[in-house]
Amino acid sequence: MASCVYFCDLRGKCILSRRYRDDIPSSAIEKFPTLLVDAEQESAVVPPCLSHNGVYYSFIQHNDIYLVSMTRSMSINVAQSLAFLYRLVEVLTEYVKTVEEESIRDNFVIIYELLDEMMDYGIPQITETKMLKQYITQKSFKLIKSAKKSKNVVRPPSQLTQSVSWRPEGIVYKRNEAFLDVVESINMLISAQGQVLRSEILGKVKVKSRLSGMPDLKLGLNDKGIFTSGTDLADGTAPPTTKKSNIELEDLKFHQCVRLSKFENEKIITFIPPDGDFELMNYRLTTPIKPLIWCDVKIQVHSRSRIEIHCRAAAQIKKKSTANNVEITIPVPEDVDSPKFRYFHGSVKYLPEKNAIVWKIKTFPGGKEYSMAAQMGLPSVTDVDTPKSKRPVQVKFQIPYFTTSGIQVRYLKVNEPKLQYQSYPWVRYITQSGDDYTIRTT
Amino acid sequence: MDKKLKKFIQNATRVAPKISKKGEIFELRNGLVSQYPQTRKDAIKKTIQQMTVGKDVSSLFPDVLKNIATSDVEQKKLVYLYVMNYAESHPELCILAVNTFVSDATDPNPLIRCMAIRTMSMIRVEKILEYIEIPLRKTLQDENPYVRKTAVICVAKLFALNAELCKELGVLEDLTAALEDSNPLVVANAIAALTDIHETDPTVVPLPELIKDHISQFLLALNECTEWARATILGALADYTARDAIEAQEIIDRVTPHLQHVNAAVVLATIKVVLLNLPIIHVDTQSPIFAKIASGLVSLMSTPPEMQYVALRNMRIILEKYPAILSRELRIFYVKFNDPLYLKLEKIEILVRLVDPANLKQCTLLLSELKEYAHEYEPEFVSRAILALSQLAVKYSQIKFVSKVLDILLELFETRVEFQNDCLISMCNLLRHTGEQDEQLIKQVCLVVDAWDATDTGSPQSDYAKCNYLWLLGQFPAKFTNIESKLNPFIETFTQEESLSQMSLLITVVRLHQSISGQLLQNVLDLATHSTQDIDVRDMAIMYWRCLSLEDADDTLINELCHSVLPEIPTTLDTFSPELLETLLSELSLLSSVYFKPAAAMHRQAVRSEGKLKGKQMHELESLAQGEILKNMNEDNLLDMDTDFLSSNTTSNDTNGTALNELKDLFHLDSSQQPKSNQIEQGMNNLTLNKKNGSQSTNTQDLLDLF
Repeated sequence: MASCVYFCDLRGKCILSRRYRDDIPSSAIEKFPTLLVDAEQESAVVPPCLSHNGVYYSFIQHNDIYLVSMTRSMSINVAQSLAFLYRLVEVLTEYVKTVEEESIRDNFVIIYELLDEMMDYGIPQITETKMLKQYITQKSFKLIKSAKKSKNVVRPPSQLTQSVSWRPEGIVYKRNEAFLDVVESINMLISAQGQVLRSEILGKVKVKSRLSGMPDLKLGLNDKGIFTSGTDLADGTAPPTTKKSNIELEDLKFHQCVRLSKFENEKIITFIPPDGDFELMNYRLTTPIKPLIWCDVKIQVHSRSRIEIHCRAAAQIKKKSTANNVEITIPVPEDVDSPKFRYFHGSVKYLPEKNAIVWKIKTFPGGKEYSMAAQMGLPSVTDVDTPKSKRPVQVKFQIPYFTTSGIQVRYLKVNEPKLQYQSYPWVRYITQSGDDYTIRTT
Repeated sequence: MDKKLKKFIQNATRVAPKISKKGEIFELRNGLVSQYPQTRKDAIKKTIQQMTVGKDVSSLFPDVLKNIATSDVEQKKLVYLYVMNYAESHPELCILAVNTFVSDATDPNPLIRCMAIRTMSMIRVEKILEYIEIPLRKTLQDENPYVRKTAVICVAKLFALNAELCKELGVLEDLTAALEDSNPLVVANAIAALTDIHETDPTVVPLPELIKDHISQFLLALNECTEWARATILGALADYTARDAIEAQEIIDRVTPHLQHVNAAVVLATIKVVLLNLPIIHVDTQSPIFAKIASGLVSLMSTPPEMQYVALRNMRIILEKYPAILSRELRIFYVKFNDPLYLKLEKIEILVRLVDPANLKQCTLLLSELKEYAHEYEPEFVSRAILALSQLAVKYSQIKFVSKVLDILLELFETRVEFQNDCLISMCNLLRHTGEQDEQLIKQVCLVVDAWDATDTGSPQSDYAKCNYLWLLGQFPAKFTNIESKLNPFIETFTQEESLSQMSLLITVVRLHQSISGQLLQNVLDLATHSTQDIDVRDMAIMYWRCLSLEDADDTLINELCHSVLPEIPTTLDTFSPELLETLLSELSLLSSVYFKPAAAMHRQAVRSEGKLKGKQMHELESLAQGEILKNMNEDNLLDMDTDFLSSNTTSNDTNGTALNELKDLFHLDSSQQPKSNQIEQGMNNLTLNKKNGSQSTNTQDLLDLF
């Protein structure tokens, strides 16, 4: 259980703090910046858990601030502390849009209120934004007005402590709709020789619910996906990749509204959704896939004179599909000059601040192959030092109306026992690059 | 209408505090007592803002307090916040607030009841505590679960502030009763509060029994509460040992759905509960559970880096108990180029551990991946990758594979000049593993190292590297030319070397005493007995000296010493002792599992105010003594995970052994009077003994026994 939560700026100076227990002197945070610097100087390895003088600092970084939680006890659940800090950022984001030094300073009142409500004595309490917004609001004058009408309108919603702690009662929409987005991010690591070293699909089902009352939802996916993976997990004996027709959705993760035991036993995804946007589930697949955007980069360095880059890219997707906003970032040495490009599609730019050239292609139809060549001058005098880092080529893209895994939503049944309304589910699919779609350079 | 308008204007009027010469505090005070409510509220906000940036605004206490009686919830919250912060410096004024606290605790609005009791139990003022009884009792029985969940935590707060009073009031019984509450959130907070109290003073609440009695309630509540409450309940379940296989199986079945929870803390807590119950259930039902745990662990790799770090540290513990659990998931742990450095290093740790030593394909795959890493640029990362190469080779162990790794290392030795030290260490590890069976390997390594000092960068830099270099010289003297000239630089800088190098030099010179000049031997022994700070080195030098100068014509003793064959090291991965491993397994997801130090050992460092004086002296003494011994042991402590290299180095263990035995002698005063020659004999025995077992756990066990 954390003793306190601090918001610090990038130098480690405290911006705002909330102390939940008094076993740590308020001077302990002053040590944090030095701890950071010391750790950095010693070995450049700065783990998210540091300790000094019997005080343990666990921290995360977000934009230009650090969120630090401190404790004296080794027996606190550190996974929980860190998860809480991340949740805190999430909640604050919904309240103040971007969580950064300035917005923290500007909104200190509401942040204090939230900190008070989200954690008590170091024990995380209520962190569901939808519910918090019911009784912690930014518009303070509203409170006065309502307070005048009847003295105690601002009450904690009763659902807060019930089993459906994420949805208030009495929500009404004229038009009842639910939007489903199936988003799959592809992470891929390709060796310089073009061999796929690692590939994974990270899938998400995002829901935007605009439904009245307390609806009970049932989601049906193509049973190829959910069902077989379910039995696979259950008996654990089925060899994973023998049958090609099966998709093995690994590590399904559900939002807390999904009845986990029901899924475990009957393989049915049922839930009462929170209102508005939320991420219903995510999954991961490790079935080997070929690169959707194949890319071959040849870099030739003529020492101290010039560097030549040849890049070929192909969209290895169905002819009907197109990849949008394809962006290929190729690292180049520092201080190159007079870039010359030759290309027919998209646009190429040299970004000195990133030491890279970026080739952007707005639309890339399936089955097409494009190429690009670049030549740049290298400084004639260079440091003897070898380059500081070996960066890979990065690829970004989006492919709409398409999922790599083949997952499909068969149905979304909405049942509100009291209101019995008609509702309209909408489904969209998109495949995009993950944060690690990279090709190693030699 | 007109009246309404007037009232609205009055309410909404804000008089901006003017900047005057009298200073900010004065302006704030003016604002706090203003006749306009909105101005007062703004002034409170400003005051809190000042407080936030660390300015002392405690002098405004009475003025802020005046604003506590208000119907505006937000304003109330702000005043409460302020009061909490400064109550300590103004205890007498807090009395003024007591009445408000007590009356707020019966307010019809649950939010205010909550706030009052929460704040009251946080104020560190004795006088306030006297008034807490009635509100606390009332709120503990409140009809609103939101209030109850707050009140149960207040019991823990009160206990921390004044344990005696807490016991007197008998609220602990109420807290225990709250475990039966119909609301899962109240139950979870009650568990958290009880755990906290139990940690401070295990005698007041019988936590283990309570958990035992409520297992079924907990399992039921698990499906119906917030994610944090789930984590807390799972934490309590982990403290419970199932009666039999059937119950353990039931617990596992009930918790496993939570492996699919989106919150990483819940997943990790679930894994912990499952792992603790796993040994109890039938062996044949275990394998599907392993698959589930594996997928739970893997899924943690798509969380933010800090969470991954915690997960990876935990996996290291789990893998040691169940090495095969993740063996299918190698690729997940490949390093991403944008991973923070600490993550990259941890990933390598996991990679070399999870790889299946019976699977050549997988080992080869990892080998090429590690080779790739060794060509990166971050120094720490490359060093670790080079070490991992040798760890992988030792793990796979087959000679063909080892020589393949050696080729890579030799190539790296040539190309990556700045990492020659690491390559040297890795190569020595390989030789230590293969022993003398493969002449070819030894020849290759020695050839490169022999030629090394002719190059510009030709000398080992780090303590470990030096130690390995010297070991190599002593082990295979025939493979080197001009040994004396290689040793000389170390003798010149002897006093500046770290203890490990000093020790290695000493051992190497003694080993080679027949082939090197007597002058050099004499020189080293002189230095080691007179000019070293390290007691172990000195003692060892004295011992060797005596052995060498023994009158006995037969040199068997010294020959035995010099020609003893070192045991082949089975692994270069560091391991936990069995006891530590079990403890850490039961502390998964706790901070202690990240540091690999059991919480119990570190727990009392933070002695609470009462026990402080008494505890401190003892503790100080203890830590002093501990520090001393640790230093003597070359910081070679089982609890310290950076000893992978040391563990492969029996020479250092020898000395640890003797040092410890000497320490033991000190403690048994009578034995210290033994005749000297006898002592040497004993020392020798110890030396050979330790050489054989060469395991660290005995040392640590001894160390622990000493206390």
